[in-house]
Order: sequence, then C-alpha cells, then structure tokens
Amino acid sequence: MDVSKKKILNGYHVVFLVQNIMVGMGLLSMNNSLSPLGYSQWWVPILFGVIANLTIIPMIWLNLQYKDDDLFDIHEKLLGKWMGKSLNFILLLYAIILFSAVIDSYLELIQISILPERSINGHLIFFILITVFIVKGGIKSLARFCILTFFLTGWMAYFLRWGMESGEIRHLLPLFNFTGKEFLEATKSGYNSIVGYELIMFFFPYIRKPEKAFKHSSIGIWLTVFFYLMVGIVGVMYFTEWQLEHILFPVLKLFQAVDLSFVERIDKIGITLWVFLILTTAGAYLWVAKKGLDSLRNKNSQYHIYAVAILTYVVINLPISQIIRKTFYERTFYFSYGFILWPILLCLVHLVRRRKMR
Amino acid sequence: MKIWKRARQVVEKSKEKPSPPSHQKEPAPVSLDSLKKDLTDIDDAVFKEYQTKDGLVTVIYLSSLIEPVLLHKIIILPLVNDKGEVMNSFDAIDGWNKQKLLMAIVNGDTVIFNHKKQQYLLAHTFSPPERSITSSENEATVLGPQDSFTESLKANLSLIKRRVHQTGLKSKDYTIGQETNTKISIMYIEHLVNDENLKRIKERIQQLDFTGYVDIVILKQLLEDNPYSPFPQYGATSRPDAAVNSLLDGRIVVAMENSQTVMICPSSFLEMFNSPEDYYNRWTTATLLRILRFAGFFITIMLTPTYISALSYHPGILPFELLIMTMESRSRVPFPPVIEVLFIELIIEVLKEAGSRMPSKVGQTIGIVGGIVIGTAAVQAGIVSNTLIVLVAVSALLSFLMPSYLMSNASRFVRYIFILAAGLFGLLGQMLALAWLLNHLLNLTSLGTPYMTPVIPRSWSDMFDSVIRFPLTYVQKRTGMSRAKREKKPTK
Repeated sequence: MDVSKKKILNGYHVVFLVQNIMVGMGLLSMNNSLSPLGYSQWWVPILFGVIANLTIIPMIWLNLQYKDDDLFDIHEKLLGKWMGKSLNFILLLYAIILFSAVIDSYLELIQISILPERSINGHLIFFILITVFIVKGGIKSLARFCILTFFLTGWMAYFLRWGMESGEIRHLLPLFNFTGKEFLEATKSGYNSIVGYELIMFFFPYIRKPEKAFKHSSIGIWLTVFFYLMVGIVGVMYFTEWQLEHILFPVLKLFQAVDLSFVERIDKIGITLWVFLILTTAGAYLWVAKKGLDSLRNKNSQYHIYAVAILTYVVINLPISQIIRKTFYERTFYFSYGFILWPILLCLVHLVRRRKMR
Repeated sequence: MKIWKRARQVVEKSKEKPSPPSHQKEPAPVSLDSLKKDLTDIDDAVFKEYQTKDGLVTVIYLSSLIEPVLLHKIIILPLVNDKGEVMNSFDAIDGWNKQKLLMAIVNGDTVIFNHKKQQYLLAHTFSPPERSITSSENEATVLGPQDSFTESLKANLSLIKRRVHQTGLKSKDYTIGQETNTKISIMYIEHLVNDENLKRIKERIQQLDFTGYVDIVILKQLLEDNPYSPFPQYGATSRPDAAVNSLLDGRIVVAMENSQTVMICPSSFLEMFNSPEDYYNRWTTATLLRILRFAGFFITIMLTPTYISALSYHPGILPFELLIMTMESRSRVPFPPVIEVLFIELIIEVLKEAGSRMPSKVGQTIGIVGGIVIGTAAVQAGIVSNTLIVLVAVSALLSFLMPSYLMSNASRFVRYIFILAAGLFGLLGQMLALAWLLNHLLNLTSLGTPYMTPVIPRSWSDMFDSVIRFPLTYVQKRTGMSRAKREKKPTK
C-alpha cells in the first residue's frame, strides 16, 4: 500500500478531507447552539466561513515555510525540544479528548434517539474498531473515505425539502435582530460546529501541491458553509424561536418532517447514516493523536493507533458524572478556538527567529 | 551444474553450425538404460524398437498423452517404410541433457533414439483427448459470439489470436509449479500495455513457489494484492471476446493449460458488474442492466439485515401498515429475527450448494423439496415468516445478477457480516459494517492500481463506462485502470 510514500494527497483529497472533518456533531445541533441570535442566525455560517478562511491563512503560510514538517515538528523546531515536546504532549491529549468527545457525544445521541434503554458498550467498541481500521491505511485511506462519505451523505440535503415546504419564509428577516452579547454567546457555542479545518496543519506535508493547498482547503470550507447555510435557512424557516432554543438536535426534527410512503421515521436512518460523518471526524483526530505519539516517541509505529484507541475507550468509560464530562468536553472545544489562533503566534515566533538568524 | 554448463556450450556450438557432424559421433552421455530407469513404474511409457535403414531405432513416449493414430501416421509408418530422409524431418534434441529429455517425454512428445548415431530426436506428438469448443455455460449471453475457452492452452490462444491479427499481440510462455510444471501464457498488446504492470506480474509469477496449479484460480489467488480479502481482485472470464476487450484496453491476460478461464489483471470493482454483452446491447439497455446489477449488490447485502434491525431494534422506521403486515406474518414465529434470518439464509445456502453438487436428475428433486419445504411448510409450521421468505428469495436472486461468479460469492459472504452486525447493533451496526466494507474496498488494490477506480478517479473519462454506459462514441479513452500507453482509442 502507499503508506510509505510521503506526498500522497491530491487536490480533491484535500477538499474533501477539510470538508468532512468539519462536518460532524456540530451540524446536528447548529441551529440550537446559534439560538441566542434567534431568527437572524441563518446567515452566521457565512460569517464563520469568512473567519475560517481568514484563520487558515497563517496556518498554511506557516506550513509553507516548513514544507516537510507537520505541526509537531514545527513546534520542536521553533520552540526548542523541551518546549516543543511538552506542547506536543498537550496537543496529543487534546486530540485524544476530542476523539473521545466526538464518539461519546454521538453514541449518547444514538442511545437517546434510536436505542433507548440499551447498552451501547458494544457499539462503542465496534465504532472504535472501524475507526482504527480506517486510520490504519494512513491519511490517504482517510481521505478516500472522506470522498465516499461526501457522496453517501450529501444527498441527505434533499430531505430539507419537506422542512422548506412547511416553513415560513418571513422568518428570514430581519437580519440583525440581536445584541453584541448575544452574538458573542452564539459564536462561543456555535463555532465548534465549524472547527476541524485546523487539522490541515497536520496533514499538510502529505499534500502533493502545497502551493495550491489554500485554494483547495477554501473550497472545502465553503462546501461546508454551503451545507450549513442550507440547514440554517431551513431550520429558521421551519422552527419557532422557542423551538430553536429548546430542541437539542434540530436537524433530526427536520428529518422527521420528511413524508415518504415506505419509511416512517427517516431521522433514524439519517442519524445512523450520520455515522460516516462522525467516522471521518473521529478518524482524523485519531490520526492526529497517532502522529503525536509518533513524534513524542520519535518513531513510527502502527501500534500507536491501538494505544490511542484503547486509551480512548478507557477515557470514555471513566466513572465520571455526565455533567463533569460534558463541561470537560466543552472546555476542550473552547481550547480548540485558541488552537485555531495559535498559528498566528507561531508565525510571529518564526519571523522573529528568522530575523535573529540573519 | 557442470553438466549444464557443458550442455549449454554444446548447444551454442550446435547453433553456430547447423549440422555439426562432430559431436553426433560421440556417444550420448544419457544412455537408454538410465532413461528406462527413470521411467520405471510408469506403465504407459513405451519403449519400442524398430529396424530401419539407419539402423536400430528406439521410440519412447507416454501412450496416454498421444493419440495412437497420430503416432502411427507420423512416426512409425515413415520409420518402417523409410521413404527417404525420415530421420532428418525430426528435430534434434540435446542428448546430454537428461532432464530435458525426460521433460519432453512427460510433456507428450516422442523421443527417438538412433542407436547407430547415438543421437536423440524429437517429434511433437502431444495430442491428449480434448473437449471441443462449446458455448460458455457460466457466462452465457444472448448477443455476441458464443464460443468459450476450453481446457487446452493452445485452443485458448487460438481463440484470442484469431480475433486480434497483429504482431503486437505478444504471448509469453512460462512454466510454473514445482511438481506440475504447468504451462502458462501471459498475453498483452505490446504498444498498449503498461510496462510497470507487466513487470509486476512477471516478477510475481517468478517469485511464486508453489507445488501445483490445477486451475488458474489458484494462480490468481496467489498473485493477488490482498489474499485476505473476500473480493476477487483480478477478473476471470471464460469468454474470448471479454478477454480480447481487456487486451485492447491495455490489460494483461494470463491463460493456463488445463484451465477454462483466463485471468485479467488489473481489474476494478465496478468491472465485476460488467458483462461483455453490455457492449453488444444498446447503451440504454446496457445502462439499465448495469444499474440493476450494481444496486443488486448493495441490496442483496442490505435487505435481510435491514429486516433484522427494523424489527428488533427500530420498529419505528416502518410505516404503520407495513409494520402491521410484517408483524402479522411474524406473529407465530417464536425466534428473534436474527435467528430467523440466519436459519433461512443458511438453508438457502445449503440448497444452493446441494443443487450445484447433485447430479442434475437428483437436483430437480432437491429444487422441489426445497421449494415446498421452505416455501410453504416452514411458514405454516411457524418457523419463519412469509415476508422474510420473500426478502431472502429476492436477495438470493439478486446475488446471482453479477456476471462474475466470484463476486456473487463475495456478496454471499459479506451478507453474513451485515446480518451479524445488524443482529448485534441494529441499524448503526449495519452502517458501521458498510463503513468497514467501503473502507476495505477503497484500500484494495489490483496489481497496484486502486480497486475502486472510478470512485478514486484516475481519469474522468472512466465515468463514461462505469455504472452508466454511454454510447460507444463517448467511450473513446482507455480506462484509467489499465494505465495504457496510448490513452485514446482510435474511433471514427
């Protein structure tokens, strides 16, 4: 297989990798997490897209300076061995926790919505096994899986038709009916639906044409924004403000509006098909965690994937109360906002160091 | 080794001079007795002595591999009647190389030993009983040529070569297998085939270390990229037109003695759903059939698992009327759906297997017994539900839509994974199993080329000849799978 070769990702691989890592649990609850904005929330994905596109510039610029290194190597080069390693350790923890957060929140949703009063331990093991299986083939395997996922799940946007039919188009106006505080609150809880593109810093050295990476990742981001915008618009049209605030997973409710003769509850099929989107996101974090372990131990080993997977299983099964766990995951998501801005600082360090060298 | 070196020198010398009288007078090192010693206990080995003008002559052959009439006509009659220069009409063979002599004998050639000149001669008389060329039973079509490969390598080569008249079509012979010494022939069109592919397949064949090849399917499994996969990674066909089609696309075709299918490599997942008939039909019909087959694969692995997960985990996904109907037909069944499905699927498997192994006259009885027992009695007894019988029958039929028999076997196997996943984990398990399947397919390679080619595009023109077959004028480029040297087919 082509694991050993270095430059393996084509342009379309980058597009779909970026796109599919971004889409995950966030989309399911996007309308809800943006609900402080009320009906004016539907255009916010565009704003998020702009922010994402702006914040990806320093990432790609930084990576272009170190073409054959991922973020772990860059840390060690820029900040020295000790500093870099400890930062990488934090990153490793971050990846593992996000990996478990993604799986845990999805399986919790599964338990609530389609498997009430059943143990999901078996599902958890099966899920982690499949993720390991996907990641074992390397980043290219993940990228191929992303392409397939896009076509397997993208058609579900058609289900929005029924929501649109029974929706109210007047909900879309006015555009700016919110205060600054509400906006910040919505951004804080809503931006996590769009994080994921920052992982390009880790698979950047595998891209065949690094100079075009910005273009491709932007296409990926705007593809995501397109889907988010559709869901945003239909959600706003279909729900009342009270519903937006209190329904945790509005997309599932939108699926329930679907009226087909041969299937009653399309949301159950939708939520299980969603597993592909979760698998790509979780797989990406698992891959990053594997790379982190590689760089910490200074050697490449497939066993690192198993190590991370077992660790994740333990983390998810830790006897901690649900509330603490939830807040913990939430904090980690806030950490990822910082992580998105982190490359800017690294760019500055890089510039200072370069000046010093001269 | 020394003997071998000397023998080679002698052969080279003999090549320099067309008829060197020098070494013919020397006594051949391989004596007739030592040959006899090697051929003891082979009761069909014949040593016959004839008195001719040139002196005493011994004819050695294996009678089971040679037709007696032929032997009589071309060897014994001329020898005995001795019309002129009979002996010169036979090929000379190196008398020092015992191995070669023995190989010639077991290959079905006749070796003639001239006692006076101490010289070995060879006549090609291999003529085993052969089946005539019939129409293909496994890949029957309505349109198109009806001939199919037989077990004879020579006949198979002629079937292909009579369709492609050019010197570019190469057929390179190898002998493989430690014990069987089976002859295979690698065929390709020189100016089309991808050199890397060719190098790879030749290397792999030379690296093989296996005792015996009874059929090309064994060779195929040994050459595959991932031997653990349930999916066949090289194409196999018994139709010469399909073989020629893939040759023209720049693929490599490997034929083997005693095997009535040939191997096509590389080959992609989607091509397993193509039949050569697709190119003879109008594009509309071909497209319809291809969609049927392709969808059939996914329906056949998903239908009964969905039944399980819908009934045992998520009854909500069925509409009310459908749920009532299914539940009513299941009302007398005492098992959970997984057991029910596994039971009936296994019975269908048993029926299929019994039907194909039985003598054809008994096979009919099995069909009737199966139909009545499974169709009516099992339902009346309350072992399985009516609805499930319909679903299982449909999925069993769909699994036979695929032209590739190995692919339909793969779908049978994969279905059980899905059934177990659905039984254990419901719809989510099914989707996870689908994720496993797709990821497995995405990571498979056939001779180093991705197995899911049009999904992982090598070239966009492949889309014109994938699930939808466009009119032939659009199918102008050779597929990305074969990575042919000349991409464009000369059309119009």
